[in-house]
Amino acid sequence: MTDEATVADTSATESENRTILLIGSGPIQIGQAAEFDYSGAQACRALQEEGARVVLVNSNPATIMTDPEMADRVYIEPITTTAIAEIIRQEQPDGVIAGLGGQTGLNVTAELAEEGVLEEHDVEIMGTPLDTIYATEDRDLFRQRMEKIGQPVPASTTIVLDDDESAEAMSEDALRDRVAAAVDEVGGLPVIARTTYTLGGSGSGVVDDMDKLVERVRKGLRLSRNDEVLITESIAGWVELEYEVMRDADDSTIIICNMENIDPMGIHTGESVVVTPSQVIPDEGHQEMRDAALEVIRELGIQGGCNIQFAWHDDGTPGGEYRVVEVNPRVSRSSALASKATGYPIARVTAKVALGKRLHEIENEITGETTAAFEPAIDYVVTKVPRWPIDKFDDVDFTLGPAMKSTGEAMSIGRTFEESLLKALRSSEYEPAVDWIDVDDETLEQEYLERPSPDRPYAIFEAFDRGYTVESVVETTDIKEWYVERFKRVSESVAAAAEGDFTEAAVKGVTNAEIASTAGTDVGSVEASVPGRTYKQVDTCAGEFAAQTPYYYSSRKPEFVTGPFEGDAAAGELRVDRDVESVVVVGGGPIRIGQGVEFDYCSVHAIQALREEGVDAHVVNNNPETVSTDYDTSDGLFFEPITAEEVADVIEAADADGVMVQFGGQTSVNIGHPLEAELERRGLDCEILGTSVDAMDLAEDRDRFNRLMDDRGIAQPEGGSATSEQEALELATDIGYPVLVRPSYVLGGRAMDVVYDDEELKEYIEEAVRVSPDKPILIDEFLDDAVELDVDAVADGEDVLIGGVMEHVESAGVHSGDSACMIPPQADAVRDVMDRVREVTLEIARELDTVGLLNVQLAVKDGTVYVLEANPRSSRTVPFVSKATGVPIAKLAAKVMAGDDLADLDVEEQIPEQVSVKEVVLPFDRLEGSDPRLGPEMKSTGEVMGTAQHFGKAYEKAQSATGKAIPTTGTAVVDLSAAEFPAPDTEAGQALLDGFGEFFDVQEFDDLRGAIRAGEVDVIVSRNREALEVAVEEDVTYFSTHASATAVLEGLRHHDDPIDVQAISDRPKQQTQWGGE
Amino acid sequence: MSDAYLALEDGRVIEARGRAPGRTRGELVFTTAYTGYEESLTDPSYEEQVLTFSYPLIGNYGVRSERFESDRVHPRAAIAREFTDDVAEWLAEEGVPAIDHLDTRELVTSIREEGAMRCGLAVGPDATPADAKAELDACKGMSEHVDIGAQVSVEEPTVHEGGSAATVAMIDCGAKGSIAESLLERDATVHVLPYDATPADVAAVDPDLLFISNGPGDPENFEAAEALVDEFVGDLPIAGICLGQQVVANALGGSTEKMDFGHRGVNQPVRDLDTDRVVMTTQNHGYTVGEPGDELNVTQVNVNDGTAEGLENEDLGVITRQYHPEAHPGPNDSLDFFDDVLDLVSTDTPVATSD
Repeated sequence: MTDEATVADTSATESENRTILLIGSGPIQIGQAAEFDYSGAQACRALQEEGARVVLVNSNPATIMTDPEMADRVYIEPITTTAIAEIIRQEQPDGVIAGLGGQTGLNVTAELAEEGVLEEHDVEIMGTPLDTIYATEDRDLFRQRMEKIGQPVPASTTIVLDDDESAEAMSEDALRDRVAAAVDEVGGLPVIARTTYTLGGSGSGVVDDMDKLVERVRKGLRLSRNDEVLITESIAGWVELEYEVMRDADDSTIIICNMENIDPMGIHTGESVVVTPSQVIPDEGHQEMRDAALEVIRELGIQGGCNIQFAWHDDGTPGGEYRVVEVNPRVSRSSALASKATGYPIARVTAKVALGKRLHEIENEITGETTAAFEPAIDYVVTKVPRWPIDKFDDVDFTLGPAMKSTGEAMSIGRTFEESLLKALRSSEYEPAVDWIDVDDETLEQEYLERPSPDRPYAIFEAFDRGYTVESVVETTDIKEWYVERFKRVSESVAAAAEGDFTEAAVKGVTNAEIASTAGTDVGSVEASVPGRTYKQVDTCAGEFAAQTPYYYSSRKPEFVTGPFEGDAAAGELRVDRDVESVVVVGGGPIRIGQGVEFDYCSVHAIQALREEGVDAHVVNNNPETVSTDYDTSDGLFFEPITAEEVADVIEAADADGVMVQFGGQTSVNIGHPLEAELERRGLDCEILGTSVDAMDLAEDRDRFNRLMDDRGIAQPEGGSATSEQEALELATDIGYPVLVRPSYVLGGRAMDVVYDDEELKEYIEEAVRVSPDKPILIDEFLDDAVELDVDAVADGEDVLIGGVMEHVESAGVHSGDSACMIPPQADAVRDVMDRVREVTLEIARELDTVGLLNVQLAVKDGTVYVLEANPRSSRTVPFVSKATGVPIAKLAAKVMAGDDLADLDVEEQIPEQVSVKEVVLPFDRLEGSDPRLGPEMKSTGEVMGTAQHFGKAYEKAQSATGKAIPTTGTAVVDLSAAEFPAPDTEAGQALLDGFGEFFDVQEFDDLRGAIRAGEVDVIVSRNREALEVAVEEDVTYFSTHASATAVLEGLRHHDDPIDVQAISDRPKQQTQWGGE
Repeated sequence: MSDAYLALEDGRVIEARGRAPGRTRGELVFTTAYTGYEESLTDPSYEEQVLTFSYPLIGNYGVRSERFESDRVHPRAAIAREFTDDVAEWLAEEGVPAIDHLDTRELVTSIREEGAMRCGLAVGPDATPADAKAELDACKGMSEHVDIGAQVSVEEPTVHEGGSAATVAMIDCGAKGSIAESLLERDATVHVLPYDATPADVAAVDPDLLFISNGPGDPENFEAAEALVDEFVGDLPIAGICLGQQVVANALGGSTEKMDFGHRGVNQPVRDLDTDRVVMTTQNHGYTVGEPGDELNVTQVNVNDGTAEGLENEDLGVITRQYHPEAHPGPNDSLDFFDDVLDLVSTDTPVATSD
């Protein structure tokens, strides 16, 4: 070997022989959504490009990053020190990258370091050092560092508990004194109280009342990992800005972009409408903050991506005045947004920088001719709008503040702010549940303008419709005039459209369909008289270089151009190949309860499958947190609202041959009908692939579906529909209480309930009618004590492949999306009817002419298999099934939809030899006042998976993966008073009491809430709402169903089983059919 | 109906909305900066050009004279997707035609593909496409503006009294105000001399340093400044920014050339060949140094296209930058250039005054 070769080898092996452990962020929850799936997936690719061997761990099966082909070794295991230490022992990584798994990844890495695990196994923390993480999370330390380099921070002080103090034990007066001193120190009320070491600012708030502040501090001290609450000068009303920064080991440091919150300081940036780039900051102020950002990242020694928050206001000087508010020394939700807003792949560059690459050595894949050492230039306006679960939580106050309540977000791109805003609002798929006619001016001002809420943007439009001035809206909302003025222009343009002048509204971003409906005319005549949409490229450089990457947004032409664009003109800047076969995959939009990251997983799999088949795959989506909207996932990424009109425009521009609406959850399914009509109206030669829209409809139409099942001799719970209260009461009496009631069109279990008598039914009808006025309600027999099953299958019109059969832990009465479930089923009652389960699934697949995915929900009672629901489209269990069985059913579905036969795809059904449990994560700790009991309404935000030889251990692993591990000793309260539970004097009741008695000191308390507050209870079984709300506040583990309490006992009995940490590809499976053999 | 027309060298006439009336012509260029419109519009280097903003919304934070770089608007006309009323009114007062409501991204990509091009504008109630074309026909190329220096330079020498750190003779080829300010902040006294100053004019202020400023157009049209460099090199330390670098290069045996569409923006990455560090810079130039010649070393390069961003001759005490270290608009990453320049004076430069 020559010297030269040796040298070359050394430099190449530097990263080639290294094993890197990448830690994911776990389940989707408020404050931590899909952004870490996107950044983790991007980082995996980047590390592998550099020749590193990647070991990945994440507990969330619904992610793309946990696909077996994403890393060299993929572990779906709890993100706990125990599980990860075991992985480290097995894989012996050289380094761990902590900055890509959100707060969860950072925290567990810090714990691994503190426990000495990293040192013991010689694992280096790559990228940003731990000291930096501590310096940014401990706000006092952070303030010291900022003061050292002369950067202004808001006045603040911490309230800290000494080792011998506890938040519970401290007297009211002592705490009050401590709080009063802190308030004095920062210059008086109002102040912001923040808890350190929490996700998304949980437990934070602007407070202007001493009593409230004392309560808030007590709560904050309990939640905080380090017994601290920070009290800060309120800079309410200042503009809140974020800067995304990148730095390499040679100190090349750049700003990727800045982001400006429309909502003023005091509202969490995750809750605010955010615009990129900043609009109201002059260059001098922008450069001052840019300098500050660079100085801060250098002082902290960050390597990779980082996010810095500022508050700014115009104090009359050319540059204005600013404060440094916060630093996130890692990839974050904002960095995902910044990546999508600019095209700069922050996670990819962060991963490469962690391996020692310099920015100018990393190629900018978007342009292909520049490097990562540049600052993106933007020639459009990006707007992000959060999406809140307001429709799921009647009892929760959705006033926006410093703590996050939103579950997801939508992003849009336009050439003007108006266009960008309207596209973003459309993309968020939110409609205020308010009839403005019923709102008087005073209420409008106080409840909807002054009070920040999800409805505020809509209220501003309403205010202008009522003739409010820009000045008065600025005054009540504290939103900058520049923005308010543009809201007014939208209102005016819509008013003009109603009078027949369509152009302004169109140019401002209103759809042709909306204009037609406002003006009471047909879409065709609107379309002919307004400027059409063309497609622009997101190129990182504002047009300076010719970009290579197919990342697009639409924009209307200015008013001097009229009519739709066709052919090449419609294509605008598109570089897609209009001559090859291509398919548009419709994505899932923002993450919300009932529609999580699993539908992005399905969309991405559909895209991958099409590309494997040699078909060009384009995607329409607007969620900036996702893998589907990464620039190299598809052949054409269209960042657009998901409406029939806008999807049809994409189809026309790309000259697509087919479109898939099965994969993006309800969002994509909902446009099936209107899209079919729109394609027909335009005479486009594009087919909706897979199961027909009519069959999807049939499955959702109870009456049609009931008749079909009856014809086929498939059992269903007895039921029917009622259009009046009288009819409903009669029907319920016929069936016999309890009954399950719901509106006829079911959206993710919305407004579903179990009622036990006439009174409850009457109450329900009042609400249901409000929910859906022109639809009847459905009343079904409630199958008490049945076992519920979920089946996911793929059909090609001929053959059917069952992906998996899951048994629910919680059964009837708990929404299937909130129930834990296991694969394969363990109950004997299910094993006995497995043949029938197969038969029923195959029959339904055939009857619905299913081509693609099919999800069937079944109930088994007394040996009979009942059909509860069938949906010929992707379901939320698809990724879980695929991860547990190793059969990629979403991909198979896309392939059969594109014309393949299952028989040709060389794939067999597989049954795992171990048990995998899926458990959900619930947002009650983020939503004060929410009902923490599981019920027919879906409330969970995300899911985790635990796998082991026995159900008990798998269930226990899944529970610990949710972050709420089952306690193993201490005091238990087993309160069986609710109808849900067996009475204490029954055999089942006694079994529960005895079971808990085996592990815990089972006690009763006269004042249960007080006992929980005092920390005297470790685990609770109850449906006492008030007590459970306290348990949520105090972070005490509880179980609100009989089924989960029973499962917990199983878990405890298997607590001492081996933890069974294994890469998913190593877990054994059998090539056997699900039933029917 | 539109009240504004833009005629392009490639034959197209684009309709737009008039924001400030008038007839004019110039070289059509674009900047990708999204803040700093006041600074850009008052930058003398845009003389005889029509400035298109890539960023669609211009004027969002108003117009304040303390942010101006000179005492008037220099581009012949301004184009954006949308101007605010503030900016439109300012431009109208200044008599600078402005148009918006056109697809500026399409315009920018055309410039990228076809190069900076001549254009003509007609804006106002009675404007016609023919008026715009007539303006286009009368439009000269940038290099043909041979006396462009006279349009942007001070007429008489003026002095900005600062401290005693250095006495700078700054040749005003169209200098941005921030250059003198950056020197003043560092305790220098700055004598601003006309673009056609003679060696005697320079000697008269007894400078410690000769500084060639930025300016519009072709550096070859700044022969007087070139002659000054030639005259004083070796006797005085010399510094230059933008056109100043090009003039210095031409004087010291190098050459300059016109670029397709130049560099205009605040995100141009420049790598220092010595430290390997990359900084972001503000740029505004349509010409560049092709060959630095035998006397000058290239010390900094553009990361994107490798063009010369910094030239130096340590022995002769010469340093120049193609970009704008004075920022305004743009990043302050390279402000230390002015420290380096003044170090040429304070340290023992090999200036041969003792000869």
